[in-house]
Amino acid sequence: MILFLYLDKDTWIHRLDPRTKILTAGILFSICLCFNHPLYLAVISAGIMAIAIWARALSNIWKLRYILILLVIFSTLLWPFFVKGPTLLWSWRSLQISQESLLYGIGMGLRLATFAVAGLIFLSTTRHEEFINGLIRMGMPYPFAFALSTALRLVPTFVGAGATIIQAQVSRGLDLETGSIFSRVGKFIPQAVPLFIYAIRHTNYLAMALESRGFNPQSPRTFYYEPHLSRKDYGVLAFFVFLLSTMLYMRLGLSLGAVMPGRL
Amino acid sequence: MVPSTPTAISFENLTFTYRQNKHPALNNIQGEIGGGNFVVVMGHEGAGKSTLCYSINGLIPGFFPGQYQGRVVVKGQEVAGKKVAEMSRHVGLVLQDFEAQLFSSNVELEMAFGLENHHLPRLEIERRIQRYLSLVGLEELRRREPASLSGGEKQRLAIGSVLTIEPDILLMDEPTTDLDPQGREEVVSLARKLKEEGHTILLVEHEPETAVRADQVWLMRDGHIVAQGSPAVILPDIPMLESCGVKPPATIELFSAMGWPGKPLTVERAVSLIGQHNLTGRRTLNFEVGFPPRSREKSILKAEGLEYVYPAYAVKALGGIDLQIQEGEFIAILGQNGSGKSTLAKHFNGLLKPTAGRMLVQGRPTTAYSHREMAEEVGYVFQNPDHQIFARTVIEEVEFSLKVLGKDSPTIQKRVAEALEAVGLQGYEKKVPFSLTRGERQRVAVASVLAAQPQVVILDEPTTGLDYRHQRSMMEMLERLHEKGHTIIIITHSMWVAAEYAKRIIIMKDGAILLDGPTRNVFFAEKKLAEASLHPPPLVRLSNILGTQALTVAQMVLELRT
Repeated sequence: MILFLYLDKDTWIHRLDPRTKILTAGILFSICLCFNHPLYLAVISAGIMAIAIWARALSNIWKLRYILILLVIFSTLLWPFFVKGPTLLWSWRSLQISQESLLYGIGMGLRLATFAVAGLIFLSTTRHEEFINGLIRMGMPYPFAFALSTALRLVPTFVGAGATIIQAQVSRGLDLETGSIFSRVGKFIPQAVPLFIYAIRHTNYLAMALESRGFNPQSPRTFYYEPHLSRKDYGVLAFFVFLLSTMLYMRLGLSLGAVMPGRL
Repeated sequence: MVPSTPTAISFENLTFTYRQNKHPALNNIQGEIGGGNFVVVMGHEGAGKSTLCYSINGLIPGFFPGQYQGRVVVKGQEVAGKKVAEMSRHVGLVLQDFEAQLFSSNVELEMAFGLENHHLPRLEIERRIQRYLSLVGLEELRRREPASLSGGEKQRLAIGSVLTIEPDILLMDEPTTDLDPQGREEVVSLARKLKEEGHTILLVEHEPETAVRADQVWLMRDGHIVAQGSPAVILPDIPMLESCGVKPPATIELFSAMGWPGKPLTVERAVSLIGQHNLTGRRTLNFEVGFPPRSREKSILKAEGLEYVYPAYAVKALGGIDLQIQEGEFIAILGQNGSGKSTLAKHFNGLLKPTAGRMLVQGRPTTAYSHREMAEEVGYVFQNPDHQIFARTVIEEVEFSLKVLGKDSPTIQKRVAEALEAVGLQGYEKKVPFSLTRGERQRVAVASVLAAQPQVVILDEPTTGLDYRHQRSMMEMLERLHEKGHTIIIITHSMWVAAEYAKRIIIMKDGAILLDGPTRNVFFAEKKLAEASLHPPPLVRLSNILGTQALTVAQMVLELRT
């Protein structure tokens, strides 16, 4: 299983400072929240897809295509039942669908998918070391940042061990596909206990390996990949801050881009 | 022995007891290692070899609490009281499990980690990465993700990432245990090269072939150092090696059993001694190597045009395998990491479903079996017993599959007793599996698979991580199961295990079967084996040169005497 999303390409976006990428991802998330009209959101989605193409991150998006499509479909199908709009299209007892709620559903689906794509672009273009580096430069203390980085690093390792453990127990006749909820919970123990013990052993071992290579969270350290905020980083940040301000003005000042003005 | 250079490491009456233990892990250790020496430490499981390593780089007493007496002095400085991070400037430590040591997202960052910790300037880091990448031979892989490297490459990266700190002393705690023969050779050659560059090397190893290349061998038993000396002095002492749970070199065993003069440590030396003293004549052997003739009997396992593609990678792991296995065979599957051995074996019990072709068990496709039915036909013991042990007592662990299969309690009792007897663990019923040794845990895992009474038992690396004594007893146990009528299939990197116990060998290369035939025939085809980067164990190499049928020392003695 390939669980790392980072794609080792050399694009303009890859070369941005991790701080720029962290802040820009935050701005992109905010931009997604500015409007709830599907047309406006579609324009934003298209823009973010263009960035994904530029960052050569399409292969990751392709990998997660089913999840993205499901997000859009479920949101479009479910949202209309939970919000009410003035132009009624269909109703049955207390259930009703309006033109606005349908559009809102589509808009929310696009918003969720766009969130996911923006996050994927970030993960596809940023190493976990760079991410941590960025957080440290933004003021996070090193021990915290290192713990976070290690946690990120260990997820694929544990998922891999988990897969082996499941295979080992299935080979002994453990049947994971059938049974009631309760019997399934019982079947969880033969998987969870070995994984738990594996995790403890592995973590202890890793701590030994780290110390043996001179790791000391308190002492000063060098960062081999030293990030530099260059003119283009400031340019990118300025552009997106301008974009976000414009959109906020359109929504709040001009009341544009909302099928449901009272909602986010 | 007087070292030619100043002492690098000296132990002065070192005794250490881990906090949770009663008995000392190291007991009154004395010894000196001269600068620039290459020392191999050997001994049984639990002899204190790892503890010895940890006492040199300060993990003991810094990381592991316990009772500490005596002194360890490294480069004139006492280790106790120093931080591990401080010691890392002088002493590098490489561990067995290369997966757990590597955590960066590419090779160069992995190499940089130690230097970042020591706050070196970036230009200097750059220079050292360059220098040590070329020393460990990984320049081409600089931008690669460590998880995508082969086992040997990973371990060389682990060594390189320690070397960048430029420690004078390098400790390697069983660095080759999890490696295939090629990876092992890569690591041992690197150790030799580092010694020539002036590093002091301490290597913990099980293989006598590696120890031959050391300056000194230290033998450990129950926390004591029982012998120190050059390989030529230590390795011919068969009773002492065996008392320490170490495999004696096959050539020594042969010469001593035959009463021949000389103590050859290598096959080359043995051949020249035989020629020199005219000890025996050469015979001629001729074999046809290839697929065994298809028997009419019904095969218990049968693969027909089996192909497998890993969904996540879209890479073909197996391409068109045709294979028949009869009831009662004893088979070893050999090949490099990534050659498709485990992928093939996981088809035998339906863990993986073929992408194309068919896999039949008792004439029925594996896709038609449920997991429960399969557990009673084909058992699969995974390499690491800790991937399956979860219960509080041995008995609970072993009866697990029987409970899952819904057996009644008299049957369960009877089968658990039989399974524990088969693996030699009677009397262990109430013990906590996690507190047992690795060898015992491995037996619990085998027993828990045997309890379901599968006809076929597959074992992935059954001897890895065990010392010689436990390897022997594990294989003897499998031999007993085989005599009872079980079909045994092992996947292994250990050539001597395959040669001495298996009756049929299957060599895998790049997802296909390269060779398949009786053990003697396959090991005779040295050129073909080399294509899969394998070579026969020393005794069989000698047997090929002498033209004998023998696969074990005992067989060769018998054959040469008649």
